[in-house]
Amino acid sequence: MALRELKVCLLGETGVGKSSIVWRFVEDSFDPNINPTIGASFMTKTVQYQSELHKFLIWDTAGQERFRALAPMYYRGSAAAIIVYDITKEESFQTLKNWVKELRQHGPPNIVVAIAGNKCDLSDAREVSEKDAKDYADSIHAIFVETSAKNATNINEVFREISECRIPVLEASGATSGRGFQLGRQASESRRTCC
Amino acid sequence: MENMHHANIRAVMFPFFEFVYSKNKLSLSVCLSVCLSVCLSVCLSVSPCCHSLSLSLSLSLSLSLSLSLSLSLSLSLSLSLSLSLSLSLSLSLSLSLSLSLSLSLSLSLSLSLSLSLSQSFLVLEDTSSQPSLLCVSAGTEPEARVLDYHITYSGTVLQLSESRLCFADLAQLVLFYSLTRDVLTFCLYIPPWLLSIARQNVQLPSRPKPESWFCKPPDLNTDDMTDLVPSVVMCSIQLSSANGALCVINPLYLQQHGDSWLTHQPTSPQPCNARRGRRMSASRPWPGAGLQSKRAISMEDPSPFAPTDDAGIIRAHSAESTPISLTLPSLTSPPSPTSPPVAVVLRRPSRDAATGDLPKITAGRCSLPTSILSSSPTPHFPPTSPALGGTRRHSGPPPQSPHRVSWVEDGVWLAPPPSSRSSSSSSSSFLLSHPPSMELDTLSISSIEEEPESPAAQSPAGQQISAQRLADKVKNRLSAVGQALGGLVSQQKRLINRVTELSDRKGGAFAEALRGFMETTLKGGIDPGQPRGSEFLQEVRSSLTALREVLLDCPEIQVLLDSMADTPDSEMDAMVEQCLHKVALKPVSAHLYSSLQAARDHDGTLANLRGHQRVLGDQGVEDLGGSAGAGVPDGPALERVQQRWAGMHATYSPSKKVGVLLKVCKSVYHCMTANASPGSVFGADDFLPCLTWVLLRSDLVTVQLDTDYMMELLDPSQLQGEGGYYLTSVYASLYYISSFRPRLAARQLSVEAQISLNQWHRRRTLLCHQSRQSKNRKTLRRQQNRDGDMEAQRECEEMNDVVEITDGESAAPSSGEEKEVQQQAADEAVARETMSDNKAEGRSELPGGCLLPREQDALSGESEDIKPAGCGGEEQGTLEEVKEEQMEEEEQKGEGEDSREQTRAEDELSHVSVRRTVNHDVMWANQEEADAAFQSL
Repeated sequence: MALRELKVCLLGETGVGKSSIVWRFVEDSFDPNINPTIGASFMTKTVQYQSELHKFLIWDTAGQERFRALAPMYYRGSAAAIIVYDITKEESFQTLKNWVKELRQHGPPNIVVAIAGNKCDLSDAREVSEKDAKDYADSIHAIFVETSAKNATNINEVFREISECRIPVLEASGATSGRGFQLGRQASESRRTCC
Repeated sequence: MENMHHANIRAVMFPFFEFVYSKNKLSLSVCLSVCLSVCLSVCLSVSPCCHSLSLSLSLSLSLSLSLSLSLSLSLSLSLSLSLSLSLSLSLSLSLSLSLSLSLSLSLSLSLSLSLSLSQSFLVLEDTSSQPSLLCVSAGTEPEARVLDYHITYSGTVLQLSESRLCFADLAQLVLFYSLTRDVLTFCLYIPPWLLSIARQNVQLPSRPKPESWFCKPPDLNTDDMTDLVPSVVMCSIQLSSANGALCVINPLYLQQHGDSWLTHQPTSPQPCNARRGRRMSASRPWPGAGLQSKRAISMEDPSPFAPTDDAGIIRAHSAESTPISLTLPSLTSPPSPTSPPVAVVLRRPSRDAATGDLPKITAGRCSLPTSILSSSPTPHFPPTSPALGGTRRHSGPPPQSPHRVSWVEDGVWLAPPPSSRSSSSSSSSFLLSHPPSMELDTLSISSIEEEPESPAAQSPAGQQISAQRLADKVKNRLSAVGQALGGLVSQQKRLINRVTELSDRKGGAFAEALRGFMETTLKGGIDPGQPRGSEFLQEVRSSLTALREVLLDCPEIQVLLDSMADTPDSEMDAMVEQCLHKVALKPVSAHLYSSLQAARDHDGTLANLRGHQRVLGDQGVEDLGGSAGAGVPDGPALERVQQRWAGMHATYSPSKKVGVLLKVCKSVYHCMTANASPGSVFGADDFLPCLTWVLLRSDLVTVQLDTDYMMELLDPSQLQGEGGYYLTSVYASLYYISSFRPRLAARQLSVEAQISLNQWHRRRTLLCHQSRQSKNRKTLRRQQNRDGDMEAQRECEEMNDVVEITDGESAAPSSGEEKEVQQQAADEAVARETMSDNKAEGRSELPGGCLLPREQDALSGESEDIKPAGCGGEEQGTLEEVKEEQMEEEEQKGEGEDSREQTRAEDELSHVSVRRTVNHDVMWANQEEADAAFQSL
């Protein structure tokens, strides 16, 4: 069975629960021995997708403003980026939009972008409506889910959808059958024209 | 449709229980027990040949009345729907009535599991179509319910409709979901006793009769079953003997089971075997598997399932007509039926063994005079998993102690090369002819102790002594550990010896290439016209890659690598790389460091690091952005980290350096979590500040040089995983420190970081691609290659971006390091940009540098000092951190001519930066304002 490594980068403001999502995704891994043991900032998990094995190499990034400039080092070469915001913090959703812009500009071409509204278990304190976020995600053709690392809601779904997106994008060589938006080429073209 | 299923579930089940309930008192208690503690499990067996699926449901109940009830339910699709229910008691009548009830429905049959244990489950078949339903009980809480998952069958594979995981048959599916939950809310629960049935069942026909589920295995030890947690434990083979002649003890086994089994008679040695079976079945298939299944040897008493064992013994004896045992002296007498039982498990027969007659013991050193059963049929293992065949459990009467012996056949493994005599003396020749691919758990008999090489040198007395020594548990333990390490080292050693030999060979292709490499390398780097250390190291890296190709072309190496064909590719890569480091990198590493240092001195990084270390040195981890919950290393821990850094610096091999780096990161993580509340997860948000904190208390210059060294010289393939991540983290952290600006957001930084990383990444991936293309690579993986192509293609596209970015940076003197790339810039891009460049330079030469508050940044790079002297005074009062400043730009414009002028220049540069370097910080802050300002100019 073919093994494909997918580097997935986690972006988002500090405190939105990036590492919790990874932790939740990885915690029930089939083989704990395969998992790296150093810490939650780098985790792997292999799942089967159709006839392939997808090994997710999950790179967490520091979300603090001061480290923002270091993010390109991390998302270089990523197959997908999961941008996480906190549905109880409007500000984190604005930060997310900045990340999307940045990925458009600097991210790898064809990177799959997934937007995860975390902490959806705290719907009482919700500040970002699901519809707004969904509309925004649709407008940039990104995957959108509301997750709860606490309740393990939709965690696997995020990664499964990434798997789904990755296949057509890679195999159809440019055919936009996947939902992942194709950032790089379009972005660079538009950049040239406005110079 | 789904709802209909639900309805049926209730309709079928409730009458069932009620019926039983009303029957008599005895059945009442049965019913109650069903309600209280249903231990419900489903065992599925699918016969691959036909499409019929037999589903057996077993209900086992133990009551206080010692009433035991077994219910077996068999569904066979081939017979449309037939149910056979039986009870060990006289309840069969009532049950068959309920059976007719369910038959009359003849739709999906389902059980309400809401009363049962959480995670128990049931697989249901729809008679009308293939898709079936997996019902999982969600527990006994009030809100508990049965969760239904549809199983879809797409011709060849089964999968849960919510999941993407496909399985060849239902048994695989159930087993998988009993180990990991994937889309399920819980893992499926398979009661331990059922596992035991499953294990017993390996001796049964593939389609067990319903009755076969009734009887509990007679010799089953249920305690052992609890050990069968679904964890993968690397299992070492254990070598020991009844006479205390041989004993290699798996330290992991000892860790788990203690060592009491050595002294008393164990009840069952099976868990170990079961684990090995798991491990082996998960490992790669190998050609000799079929043979191994035949040769899975039990030296214990003949297996009850192998009635022809006597013949097997005889045959084996004749095959080993001359048992010369050197390390098994006590067993040198010809084997007899009364000889002490010794379990022999073939671990990993060589490929040649598949065609050989019978195991020949390597070099005649340690032939086993014990018998070999070659006739045990293993029909219960499907042909698709032959590896399991070698691990069938030994179900005979327990031996005196769980002795297991492994040996390795002669044949495929090459004799050590003449030049490797030095290693032969330290590790025995047997070890050298060991399968190179053996894992930690593959231990050989003879290498437990370092016996004299020559068989003739051994006297019986010496053998006796050695036997006694081997009997010593402690010794054995040490031996096992040492051997486990030695086994790995020996492969590496062999390869290194061979490579060293090749490098010394006059006139050899590799030796010549190596000589060329040395000359070029030692000449390079000191050239004043080559200021960039990293470029120099990049050349070294590509030379190394080329050197590896030459090395892999050597026939000797090819033969050696062929013999390790079942070593994982990554391991083999790492080993070859390691050899190269030794012969090529070691002699030049000092030179590389000095040129790196010169380069880093030249670009001011080291000065920045030293200066900012002083500024940032007293900041706590919270000041660096960390959260309060995460701890930082205390004094002793910090001391250890320092030692590790020193160790990292001392070694020459980049891959070893990464190993040390990972250890440092691990201890940093450990300190973070040491005092944290349980359950808190620390991601990069906490790790990066903590790492920065630690770095600030380390020798930054050395770490920087080491990091450069690793990043440039590591084999690109090794940068993919964990090592790559933490190396990137250290690199990022160092970058943060060296480009720290007290009152300034890291705006310039991002550009530089991007350029630096762009360049670095592009090179790495290109190199990676290049190295993957080698036609001689044994380790080439098609999939990766394809990905590599994609990657390279993408990188080509990215190169355009790099060119643009670099070009954009040309206005900044500090980016002189990018000259080479600049030269590659497209001509029209230069022409296009020139105008705006000039415009920009007219006002300010530095986009970011001019914002530096001089008094706080005295140590920033000299290049950045060029311009700001003039404008620093103008800004001091007005400029805040960049982001703020840009947010309040409009405000500032109104504040005064000077500052407006400056701001405008700033904006314009920002704009240029946006257009060409695509500075994302600026983008974020106010692209629109920047555009407006630019147009207003």
